[in-house]
Amino acid sequence: MQADPPILEVDGAVRHFGGLRAVDGCSFTLQRGMLAALIGPNGAGKTTLVNLVAGALSLHGGRIRFLGRDISGWAPHRIASLGLIRTFQISREWARLTVLENLLVAAPDQRGENLWNALMRPGVSRAEERRLVAEALDTLDTFGLYAMRNEYAVTLSGGQKRLLELARAVMGRPTLLLLDEPMAGVNPALTDQLAQHIETLRQGGISFLLVEHNLEFVERSCDYVVVMALGRTLATGLMSDLRQNPEVVSAYLGGESVERAAG
Amino acid sequence: MSAIVFYIATVVNYFFIYNILAWGLNIQFGYAGILDFTYITFMAVGAYVAGVTSLGRQQPGTGVTYILGWHLPFPLPLLLGGLAAALLGLLVGLLAINRLRSDYLAIVTLSVGIIIYSLVGNLTGLFDGFDGLVGVPEPLNGQVHLGVNTYTIFYMAVTGVVMVILWFFAQRLRSSALGRTMRAIREDVDVAESFGKNTFRIRLVAMVIGCFYAGIGGALLIGFVGAFSPGGWSTLETFIIWAVMLIGGRGNNWGSVLGSFLVIALLSEATRFLPAIPNNAFLEPALRNIVIGAGLIVVLRFRPQGILPERKAQFSEVRAARAGPGEPHAG
Amino acid sequence: MTVFWLSVGFGFVTASVLALASVGLSLQFGVTNYVNFAYGAFLTLGAYFAWTVLTGGHLPLWLAILIGSLGVGVVGVVSDRVVFRSFTRSGFPLFYLLIVSFGLSLILGNVVQGVWGPSPQFFAVVSQYPLHIGPFLLTPAQLVIIGVAILTMVGVHLLLTRTRLGKAMRAMSDNPALAQVSGIDINRVTTWAWFISGTLAGLAGIGLAISTASFEPAFGENFLFIIFAAVIVGGIGQPYGAMLGAFVIGMVTEVSAAIIDPAYSTDLAFVVLIVMLLLRPQGLIPARGKA
Repeated sequence: MQADPPILEVDGAVRHFGGLRAVDGCSFTLQRGMLAALIGPNGAGKTTLVNLVAGALSLHGGRIRFLGRDISGWAPHRIASLGLIRTFQISREWARLTVLENLLVAAPDQRGENLWNALMRPGVSRAEERRLVAEALDTLDTFGLYAMRNEYAVTLSGGQKRLLELARAVMGRPTLLLLDEPMAGVNPALTDQLAQHIETLRQGGISFLLVEHNLEFVERSCDYVVVMALGRTLATGLMSDLRQNPEVVSAYLGGESVERAAG
Repeated sequence: MSAIVFYIATVVNYFFIYNILAWGLNIQFGYAGILDFTYITFMAVGAYVAGVTSLGRQQPGTGVTYILGWHLPFPLPLLLGGLAAALLGLLVGLLAINRLRSDYLAIVTLSVGIIIYSLVGNLTGLFDGFDGLVGVPEPLNGQVHLGVNTYTIFYMAVTGVVMVILWFFAQRLRSSALGRTMRAIREDVDVAESFGKNTFRIRLVAMVIGCFYAGIGGALLIGFVGAFSPGGWSTLETFIIWAVMLIGGRGNNWGSVLGSFLVIALLSEATRFLPAIPNNAFLEPALRNIVIGAGLIVVLRFRPQGILPERKAQFSEVRAARAGPGEPHAG
Repeated sequence: MTVFWLSVGFGFVTASVLALASVGLSLQFGVTNYVNFAYGAFLTLGAYFAWTVLTGGHLPLWLAILIGSLGVGVVGVVSDRVVFRSFTRSGFPLFYLLIVSFGLSLILGNVVQGVWGPSPQFFAVVSQYPLHIGPFLLTPAQLVIIGVAILTMVGVHLLLTRTRLGKAMRAMSDNPALAQVSGIDINRVTTWAWFISGTLAGLAGIGLAISTASFEPAFGENFLFIIFAAVIVGGIGQPYGAMLGAFVIGMVTEVSAAIIDPAYSTDLAFVVLIVMLLLRPQGLIPARGKA
C-alpha cells in the first residue's frame, strides 16, 4: 500500500457539450513520482479531461482529487497554486513579453505582485527579483534558450516555443505537470531533448501526466498509461501490457497508425 | 503678463491633465488589456465630486443645485475626486471583468457611461443636471490671491507636481512584478490563470488604479476651468483619450505624453489652418473629429503599437557560476 | 389599467424598431464575430438618407424608406470593404476591430453633423389621428412600423431557413472553422451580412425617427445601448434571440415609462441588461461558443 496519497484521482469525471458527452465517466489514479501518459484515439476526450483537471472547464459529474484534496469545481488559478501546472497543445507563450519575462511571471507567490509592495515598497521585492532572475536564467540555460532571453517570445521558432513552454511550466514550481501533447509537431532531435528534460525533471521529484500520440516515447519512458476512448477509461497499466489488451488494440492501436509522424 | 504666456500656460495645463488621463487609460489597457470605453465617465465623476466638495453649500436663488457642498480646502477635493472615480471603477469592474468576451466588457462600460450620463443629467439635485456645476473655487487661490494670469501659471505648477507624482507611480507599477503579471494577463488571460494568477483580482486592480487617475484628471480639470457639465463629456472625449494613448504608443507612458502633445497641438492649432467656411460653424469641429477618427484607424492599421512602442524590460543579470552560455540547441 | 395597455401598445412599436435593429446587429455579429460600435450611426444615416430623399427629391414616403435603408446597406458594405476587412485579413485580434468601429462611429456621426448640421430634423409625416385597435391607441404610421417589422422578421426567418445564403450565415455563426472548410464563400457571405445588417439598421433608424418627435446626428448612437440590451438579453449572435430580446426590452421601456418617470425608463432597460449579464450572460437563446 502506498504511504502517500495518490497525487491525482479522477473519479467518474463527466463533461458534455450540448448533446455530445466528451468525457463520459473517466476514472484513474496516479501515484506520486509517476511519469504517466494519457493516450487514445482522436476525439477520445483527452484534452477535455486535461481541461477538467486543470479547472479550465467545469465538471458536470464526478470528482477530481489532487494530493488528497477535492479540487472539483475549483478555479484554475487555485488549482495551479496547489502545484498543478499545465501546458497547452499549441504553444501559448506570452507573445509581447521577453523570454525571460515569460519565466519570471510563471513563478508563484511573488511579493512584488502585491499592490502595496509594488507601489510603496520596491525594496521588499528587489531581493526576490534577483533570485527569480537568477533562477530563470539558469532554467533558460538548461533548456538552451539563454541566448534568446531578451527577445520577445513571439519571435521564437516553433521548437524553441515548445522548450519555452516546458521551461516556463518548470518555473511554476509544479508538483504535477500536465503536458498536452508536448511532442506534437516537433522534430525527432527535439523530441529526444524534451524527453531528456522530462526525465531529469521527474528525477527531481515532479510527477507527470502527458497526453501523447507518440507511442514509442510512451513505451520507452512512461511507467503508467491510461487509455481513453469515447470519453471513458478503457484500460490502464504498462504500455507493454496494454499492447496485448484486445480492446485497446482494436480501439486505438489496431486501425490507427502506431506512431504519429513526428515533425 | 503677456497674452502669449497666458496662452501657453493654459495649453500646458491641458497638456498635463491629458497626460494624467492617458496614463490612467494606459494602465487599464496598455498594462492589463482592459477595454474601457467609458473612461471619460470616471473623469467626470472625479470632476463632479471635486466640484461639490470644494463648493460651499448650494445657495437658493442661484438656480444651481447640487449635493454636498463641503467647502473643503485643496488637496482634499482632489483626493476625494480620485477616490470616488476609483470606487465607481471598482463597481463597474466587479460587474464587467470576468471570463466573458472583451466585447461584453466594452458594451457594459459603454452602457454604464450612458446611464450615468443620463442620471446626472436628469437628477438635477445631484450635480445640477445638464447645466452643470459652475463657480467652482480655484484651488489654493483663497490663500494666494493671484490674478487670473498668474494663477494659471501657479496652477500649472500644481498640476505639474501632481502629474510627476502620478508618473512616478505609474512607472513603478510597470516595472514591478505586478506590472509584469498584468502584461502577461493582457497577452493571454487563460495561461496566466493556469499559473496561479488571480486574473480577476489583478485586472480589477488595474481598472481601479486607472479610474483613480481619471478622477484626479477630472478634479484638476474642474479646478482649472471652474465649471463642468455633461456637455464636456461625451463618447468623443473618451475616444480622444484612446487616440492619445494608442497613437502615442500603448503600454508606454512616454508614448502617452507624446500622444497628448500631438492631440493637444492638433486640437488647438489645426483650426488655424482650415479656411473659414461661412454658415458652417459646426463644420470645423466635425472635420477635426473626422480627422482624429480616421487618423486613429490609419495608425492602428499601419503602426498598431503606436509611435513609441513599449520598451523591453531590462534586467541586471546575476548568474550562478556555469560553464558558459548553453550551446544553441533548439531548432 | 388603460394606461398599462396603452404603454403595451407603444411597447410593440419600440419592440418593432428594436427588432429590426437587433436582428441586423445579430446577423452581422454572427458572421463576423465582432461587435460593430458604429451601428448606431447606421441608424442615424438611415433616417437622414430617407429624410433627404423625401424632402429634397419629393419622392413618396415608401420610396424614400426603401432608398434610405438600402443606402445604409451600401454604407455597411463599404465600411466592411474599406475599413474592417483590412484588419481582419491581416489577423488583428478582436479588440482592434472594436476600437476601429468606435472610430468609424465618430467619423460617421461627424459626417452627418457636417453635412446636415446639428439641429434636429422632423419627418413631415402628415399628422395623423391615432386609431383604436383593441385596447391600444396607435397612429397609422406606428401600425405601419409594426407591420414592416413583422414582415421583415418573417423575411429574415425565410432567409435563414430557406436560402443558401441564410444557411451559410448560420453555419458561419455556429462553427466558423467548419464553415470555412465546407466550401462556403466567406467573403461573399460577409458582404451580404453587412448589406443586410446595414439595411435593417437603416430601416430601424427611419422607423425610430418617424415614431419619435425629431432626430439629430447623435440619435442613433444614443439608441445603440438599448439595442445592445436587446441583443444581449436575447443572446448575442442569435437573430431569434434578438427578436425576443427586442420584445422584452421594448415592453420594459414602454411599460415602465407609464409607471415611473419616463426619463428613467431606459435606465431600467439597462438594469435588465445588468441582471441578465449577471445571471445568464449567454442570453435567453444562447449561441454555441459565443459567450
